[in-house]
Amino acid sequence: MKPLFHINIRTPLLALLLVFAPAVMAQVQDSRIQMAGLDHLTAKASQTVEVNLDERLMRIAAKVLSDKDEDERQVKKLVEGIKGVYVKSFQFETDGQYVAADVETIRTQLRGRGWTRLVNVTSKKEGMLEVYLLFNADQVGGLAVLHTDDRELTVVNIVGPVDLDKLAKLEGQLGIPELGIESPKKSKKDDEK
Amino acid sequence: MNDDYLWDKTGQPDPEIQRLEEILGTLRYQPKPLVIPRRNYFPLLAIAASLLLALLAGGIWLRVRSHDDVPPQQATMETPGPVPPVNKSAVNPTPLVAHNRRRHKSVSSAAEHQEALMAKEQLMLALRLTTQKLHLVHIKTQHKVG
Repeated sequence: MKPLFHINIRTPLLALLLVFAPAVMAQVQDSRIQMAGLDHLTAKASQTVEVNLDERLMRIAAKVLSDKDEDERQVKKLVEGIKGVYVKSFQFETDGQYVAADVETIRTQLRGRGWTRLVNVTSKKEGMLEVYLLFNADQVGGLAVLHTDDRELTVVNIVGPVDLDKLAKLEGQLGIPELGIESPKKSKKDDEK
Repeated sequence: MNDDYLWDKTGQPDPEIQRLEEILGTLRYQPKPLVIPRRNYFPLLAIAASLLLALLAGGIWLRVRSHDDVPPQQATMETPGPVPPVNKSAVNPTPLVAHNRRRHKSVSSAAEHQEALMAKEQLMLALRLTTQKLHLVHIKTQHKVG
């Protein structure tokens, strides 16, 4: 006898897939770097800069950026579509206040999920500077800058489509010297990856 | 004894036959109204509840994941040491407050306006820091190329 109500096992599986697929996709494309692992350095640092601007705050910040002021108009254009800006910067009075494992909590995240290290500069005076971009297909989906020095640890994370052309237009403004930034073509992944 | 009882229940019944009739009689057809089994909605409800729970869990997970331990509104903000000399009008928040208060009437309440200005200051600070680092990279790479 044919049952009046028959549940195929595929139905709930399909439903669960539909529910979790957006979450999984969001996870794949999310360029947010978790920096909570560095919080303990606040107590050791002589100076700390911490910026946490999520999508909502970015939206309301953009509201008060003027269209009449040239600088603010440029910034407004730059932040269009950006979903978050997060900064943690620690300045220390003595060497060795943070350990390699602290930096590794950030670098580990930048080794996967589509991140590409564009620049890696090491110098005795300035320490190590790394610039990473997250590519979603051919579009930039995020930017990360990691600066480690004997007495400094700085992580900058911009979530969303960062337009480097617009960022370059900030040169000479906001008190920033000319940068000469050019939009990068997507390059090969680092050898490290 | 004849077999009429077996055919039409007439005549003298055989006690053995009667006994068998009594035993088997309990199994005879008993007419009763047709009952159509009710549709069982439990599996559908279970699926719907599971989906709701999954959605709720996914939402909570995404929300927790997208926030740091420190709420953005309570973010500390101190002027970093290495930020290069900047245009004072861009750094000093007071003129910005006055400047923007005049211009942006769309922000409804004073609290929201204040929050927006704080967010703007944080944004400018983050951009200054970012471009400063990129500038440093630029100098170093130029130096290496040179």
